[in-house]
Amino acid sequence: MPEASASTDAAGPEPRRRLSFSSILDGFFFIFAGVASVWLAWLVFTQSFEFGWFGIAFFVGFWVVLAYLVLPRLHRILTAIYVPDYFIGRARTSDGLLGDPVNLAFEGSEASLHAAMRMGGWTRADDVTLATSWRIVTSTVTRRSYDVAPVSPLFLFGRQQDFAYQQEVEGNPARRHHVRFWRTPDGWLLPGGRRVDWLAAGTFDRSVGFSLFTLQVTHKIDADIDIERDHIVGTLLGANPAVRVVVLKDFSSGYHSRNGGGDTISTDGDLPVVDVSEVPIAAIESITTDAAGGALHSEGAGGPLPTDAATPRVPVAAAEPALQSREGA
Amino acid sequence: MSGATDRRVTDRRVNVAKRPAFESPAALAAPVTPPPTMRRPSATAVGAILVVLRVVAGVVWLVAVAALWEQIVREELGVDVEAGSDVEAASQLVLVLLLVFGGIVLLLESAFAVLVWFGSNWARITVMFFATISIMTSWIESVTGDAEITVRTTLVTLALDILVLLALSSRNARAYARRPRPRVILHRR
Repeated sequence: MPEASASTDAAGPEPRRRLSFSSILDGFFFIFAGVASVWLAWLVFTQSFEFGWFGIAFFVGFWVVLAYLVLPRLHRILTAIYVPDYFIGRARTSDGLLGDPVNLAFEGSEASLHAAMRMGGWTRADDVTLATSWRIVTSTVTRRSYDVAPVSPLFLFGRQQDFAYQQEVEGNPARRHHVRFWRTPDGWLLPGGRRVDWLAAGTFDRSVGFSLFTLQVTHKIDADIDIERDHIVGTLLGANPAVRVVVLKDFSSGYHSRNGGGDTISTDGDLPVVDVSEVPIAAIESITTDAAGGALHSEGAGGPLPTDAATPRVPVAAAEPALQSREGA
Repeated sequence: MSGATDRRVTDRRVNVAKRPAFESPAALAAPVTPPPTMRRPSATAVGAILVVLRVVAGVVWLVAVAALWEQIVREELGVDVEAGSDVEAASQLVLVLLLVFGGIVLLLESAFAVLVWFGSNWARITVMFFATISIMTSWIESVTGDAEITVRTTLVTLALDILVLLALSSRNARAYARRPRPRVILHRR
């Protein structure tokens, strides 16, 4: 029974498993597929000269193969070798490239973080699915508003962001404020020894363009990421008197670099640590019901409690059930 | 905030493990441990669909061979088939054997497509193994000049093989095929 053995393997407590034969086979197929895709791109490229004007279609096909198959796979293979996987204050793209800088930290439970963001005028981004991806394409082409558009996955601690918030600008899906959140692992400390519950990366999408590294269509971000960082902190402070901020000056030395799409970024290296643990969770209930069309306040609904043990101070009876169900997604 | 946090920090520091300061390419082959609740990733779905397309391409190929059989025998083997002769009976027998064998292979391949869809790991590995052999063969043929790979010849099947390999070797497809399953006891309700 392969199922049974797989489950006992997964439950086994040994932390360091030897590489099995099938794992090495997987590694071989991963690299061989990358090499074979280069050949495929070349074959499609040579075909684009064979068919006259119809060859343009082959050239587009060549770009699709190159941008969405070949370059991501090659980056994936190479970055596994040359990009450090410990915390250096940068998220990574799904291809392993260095992505947006981590420029915010938060303390508090997930429920209070959601409450603080909602009160600050932020909307939670949809998860990436085929349907939501298609809606991004159509709304960008037709310039229709899509204020809960999903954000692309970025990785920290080897995990995709837990959730993301955004603010659309002028109803244009090409331009938006957005910030991704990752829960830090238990017992994990920032460089310097400070414990925080969440890390976040906020940047401003200014337009749609081509990625420098993969040639994919993607959002281009504004180079001065400190403006976006201060905007996020400003909205939270303005909306919630219970929010407190401590800035870790020169957390990283100031630097200029490029993000995963090849856009220039520059920062002074400060890291604001935002404490949202005192934000009352009850506040978001009124916002939700307002958005739902002014329905009556369902007082003390008695939903399940937020499970974050780090903040027992939170008034639990007011927790929103929807937040609970999203946890761990 | 500070007092409580500081105490927690010193308590937990013991648990923070140091990791080596170099990156090993073995990370590409490292086993992945996804949650049992993982939903079917698009890579697995696309891979299974591509295998089905590969089967369709095989059916088209078999039909074309059956339709052009006389011409193929004449041009490739240099044998002139006369109606009613023993040679014709023999060539018909070869054709039937070829169609039956091809049909069985395509049926097996369809079964593999279904197994891949539902996340079978050995089916995924087997499909990738045969795709690799097929790609290698095409490459050797093109390098030695035996066959030219264009859209009019074998580019479509080769492209399908490479796309199948790319999809099924991706990290998501691997994680889905290797996800831990809850133990299912079949003989009890």
